[in-house]
Amino acid sequence: MNVKGLARDAVLTAVALGIFVVELQLPALTPIPGVKLGLANIVTVVAMFTLGWADAAGILLCRLVLGSFFAGNMMALLYSAAGGTLAFLTLLLLRRVLAENQLWVASVFAAMAHNLGQVLVAAAVTATPSIFVYLPVLLVSGIITGLLTGLAAQYTVSRVGRHLRK
Amino acid sequence: MVKTRTWIVLISALLLLSLGLTLWLWLHPTGGRTANIYVDGELVRSVDLAAVEGEETFTVDTGRGLNVITVSEGRLRVSGADCPDKVCVNSGWLSGSAPIVCLPHRLVIKFADSSGGPDAVAG
Repeated sequence: MNVKGLARDAVLTAVALGIFVVELQLPALTPIPGVKLGLANIVTVVAMFTLGWADAAGILLCRLVLGSFFAGNMMALLYSAAGGTLAFLTLLLLRRVLAENQLWVASVFAAMAHNLGQVLVAAAVTATPSIFVYLPVLLVSGIITGLLTGLAAQYTVSRVGRHLRK
Repeated sequence: MVKTRTWIVLISALLLLSLGLTLWLWLHPTGGRTANIYVDGELVRSVDLAAVEGEETFTVDTGRGLNVITVSEGRLRVSGADCPDKVCVNSGWLSGSAPIVCLPHRLVIKFADSSGGPDAVAG
């Protein structure tokens, strides 16, 4: 990676981290654990579709690690790691089958994969399979928030995507 | 390339399915007579909610931290915890359906019609 690419990825990481920290300050929309907007993933989706998987992975990893320092909750990093990995793989796979103007679709499915990962880890950690009753309600929230972040990413890519790729 | 319309139909179908399942689970609670409290998947305490009079509070030491649990007739809440996220506390009063989960302490409270096993401890 050249210096310009490194600087660009650092700026994108800072943007993602800024969004993440601001979102931390918002009151929870519902008392259901695991429901959140996930606005910082706009940056992940934009990076995946304009810069490729390696840059997107670097930005996501730095944001997750630094974000949990700022949030002061290292345990949350462990629990979100499974969801984050599944969501990232989903983005990676869907990138191959989606047209440029369909990238919001990838965000919806990535959000659902993230919910699945969360519930899997929670069920495994507590050895309680009945935690899966949370999955449907998490999927409802995941589809809605994934659509919002996906559309935001879609508009971002169509406005500034070509500047990022340079 | 798959048409955008196909994706919209697929996502709408998944949303409706999840909404339907959520509603179904919400309208069919698993029963709330007994609250079974698990740490690391092992039953540590079982409370007969129907037999509770007034309000009772007790503390569960999970080995990773403390959870203060308040029970009253037919319902239960986690009233305090020394975990950082307080998800379980914010869940509020519950009386059936979804379990209460405190991930940092690996504590789960499930509702059932009877106590959760032969080694159940009387509440």
